[in-house]
Amino acid sequence: MTAPSPLPQARRRKRSPLPTVLGVLALVGLTGFIAFGNLGRSLEYFVTPTEYVQQRAELEGRPLRMGGLVRAVRYDPQTLDLRFDVTDGGASFPVQYTGAVSDLFKENQGVVVRGEFQGNTFHASELVVKHSEEYNVPQTQAELKDLLRQSE
Amino acid sequence: MLNLISFQSSALGALGQLALLAALAFTLGGTWLAVVGGLRADTRATEAARRAVWAVFALVSLATLTLMAALLGDDFSVRYVAEHSMRASPTWVKVTSLWGALEGSILLWAWLLAGFAFVLSLTLRRDALRPWALGAMFVSLLFFVGVCASVASPFTPVAQIPADGRGPNPALQNHWMMAIHPVLLYLGFVGLAVPFAYAVAALITGRLSDHWVVATRRWTLTAWAFLTAAIVAGGWWSYETLGWGGYWAWDPVENASLIPWLLATAFLHSVQIQERRGLMRAWNVWLIVLAYASTVLGTFLNRSGIVQSVHAFAGGPVGPVFLGFLAFLLVAGIGLAAWRAPHLRDEADAPAPVSREGAFLAGNWLFLVFAVMVLVGTLFPTLVEAVQGRRDASVGPAFYNAFAIPLGLGLMLLMGVGPLLPWRRAEGEKLWQALRPLLLAGLSAGLLAFVLGVRSPGVLGTIALSAYNLVGLGLLTLRALRQRGGGFAGLVREQPRRYGAYLAHVGLVVMALGIAFSGAYRQDAQATLNVGAAPSRLLNETLALRSVGVERRTDGASQVARVLIDGRPFEARLNTFIQGGETAFAAPAVRYGLLGDTYLVVTAFDPQGRWASVRLIESPLISWIWWGTLVVVLGAGLTLVTPRRAAVRVPVTRAAAATD
Repeated sequence: MTAPSPLPQARRRKRSPLPTVLGVLALVGLTGFIAFGNLGRSLEYFVTPTEYVQQRAELEGRPLRMGGLVRAVRYDPQTLDLRFDVTDGGASFPVQYTGAVSDLFKENQGVVVRGEFQGNTFHASELVVKHSEEYNVPQTQAELKDLLRQSE
Repeated sequence: MLNLISFQSSALGALGQLALLAALAFTLGGTWLAVVGGLRADTRATEAARRAVWAVFALVSLATLTLMAALLGDDFSVRYVAEHSMRASPTWVKVTSLWGALEGSILLWAWLLAGFAFVLSLTLRRDALRPWALGAMFVSLLFFVGVCASVASPFTPVAQIPADGRGPNPALQNHWMMAIHPVLLYLGFVGLAVPFAYAVAALITGRLSDHWVVATRRWTLTAWAFLTAAIVAGGWWSYETLGWGGYWAWDPVENASLIPWLLATAFLHSVQIQERRGLMRAWNVWLIVLAYASTVLGTFLNRSGIVQSVHAFAGGPVGPVFLGFLAFLLVAGIGLAAWRAPHLRDEADAPAPVSREGAFLAGNWLFLVFAVMVLVGTLFPTLVEAVQGRRDASVGPAFYNAFAIPLGLGLMLLMGVGPLLPWRRAEGEKLWQALRPLLLAGLSAGLLAFVLGVRSPGVLGTIALSAYNLVGLGLLTLRALRQRGGGFAGLVREQPRRYGAYLAHVGLVVMALGIAFSGAYRQDAQATLNVGAAPSRLLNETLALRSVGVERRTDGASQVARVLIDGRPFEARLNTFIQGGETAFAAPAVRYGLLGDTYLVVTAFDPQGRWASVRLIESPLISWIWWGTLVVVLGAGLTLVTPRRAAVRVPVTRAAAATD
């Protein structure tokens, strides 16, 4: 085995790097445009009812995730029609959802709903019920626990 | 560190911890020996470093077996077993608990890495790259074995030995796929460490000729095939267990496995340009450094809780440690490449745009942009949180689909034209002649689909490009058959690399069709069914609930709904686990079909057994994704076959067999 041979001196490149540089800049620009143009609109925020009240003008009609505690559940298993209020102790909003709900959906349960406001009612397309502290608890649940403590 | 070895720990715990510490010592020694072997060109030191790899592999294997024995023997004095296993679990669940939580999964990673290093130590050629490739593997090992032996040791004892463990995460024991997907994924991730090690060795020694690229072809392909299979297996797993009828949610951790796959795919293609034309040498070094770093990034995202994900493990000291290693890899890789890149000289000027290498280069850019966009989407919410102070912004699938569909179609376009183009340069006239049948096929397939009622632009594009690709590959094969004769099998035996690549491309076309159709034409409906009631109509099917009942298992209970869908029986379950409390995990009933799947989930039960709420999903062509992947992996396997020469029989020497 021999010692590594020294590298030859770098030859000056014959071609101009300008096209490459321009190409990279164009791609980065395009990527940035798509990313930040689109991202701004496709960002989905997590709010509590009180935060929504404060930022209503900004958030109205946007896809949202709203977290809080469940109150006043009315559920018909035959039609799968679910209505309840979500509250964080301050503000409270009615939520409307269609779909099956397990027995775990109870009063005072922490919940995160995904959907958007139409008027004063939150139309949920997805329901994330908090089942257990132990498994796959998203960070929002830590915040929800704080809410729970505050509202008790 | 102080409580790592304690006299109260059981025999197994102490054995495992000692094995890990000894492995760490051998890793440190081996690193030093490899560096000495490289600096002084000392064959004996290099040979000793090689032996140290064997010792590390043996010791990490011992630690892994010890943990397995502790899991199977319900030894709850080992903390990992106490926290992630329990007596009542079936044996296969105890086995999979080895990688079902943080510490065990890092141990598995370290073990596979040591295994790859072991195989590498057997196949490395005796050249200047050898000590440095070993050294680079040792640095990766140093990190993983070090983490296992210290901050994330599975063997730390517990203060009070519980009578029974807390049990595995019930979400992970709901399906046998737990035994497959994580192992495949780690094999894919770990496999990328080998080409990375070769690239580092090439950079350090300055042997930047194309040897390192040729030597890593099989490693890269193998890792890539595992990674491909792992990603799709993960998708199929979530399809079979999570009850949402989908397979990909652009979840941050899913993205974290996609980024290395995109970069590795780009690398597999651009490496061929270097092999054939001596171009893109610097580019390939960068690609493999980034691909390997992105596997560590993925693990960091997975383990740190910095992004929200269904996969995220709870935080702990491991996140920052991974971030540190990621930073080290990036700084060292970028530093090395920046130091050597000025010396990396291509043999010719930049590829002509209309040539095989031009198509590969364009594809590389698309893969790179794809990877960057996925990364941006994954990290953007975290950035928003840091900058704006808003909690928990998230980017929906709409963002990803906005670029993934056009980029995917662009890649299919290049995939069809690439193999048609000659190396170096194509003349316009000939290119047009070659492309005409493909474009005709694509256009007519697209038109036919439009007439048959397909209106979604993404699906139309996929159909057109699928026909264009398949006709292209078919024509190339026919032309070769006409020129050479000797039958298709003989052709494949002579050029397994080429036909393996074709086969992989066919598999990707099948997958693309599955993704397009199941995405665009999926139907979803929910209803409550009553036992004994008249059948309900849902999505062109008639559903009748025959019974709802409870079945006891050793580790929990299952609620079973027996439903007739158009007369065919379906059994959908909701499983509960002892350690999971009331939380129920859906086990959908899926009827697989060539043209589409029928997928039934039970979402709620009446405790008296009178009714059950169900969700019915129909996804056309979705199983083409799984079958297509099988074809891709078979194709990748075929490219690894050693070609048989038609007339000349070359005796295969041991040295030749051992290197490539």
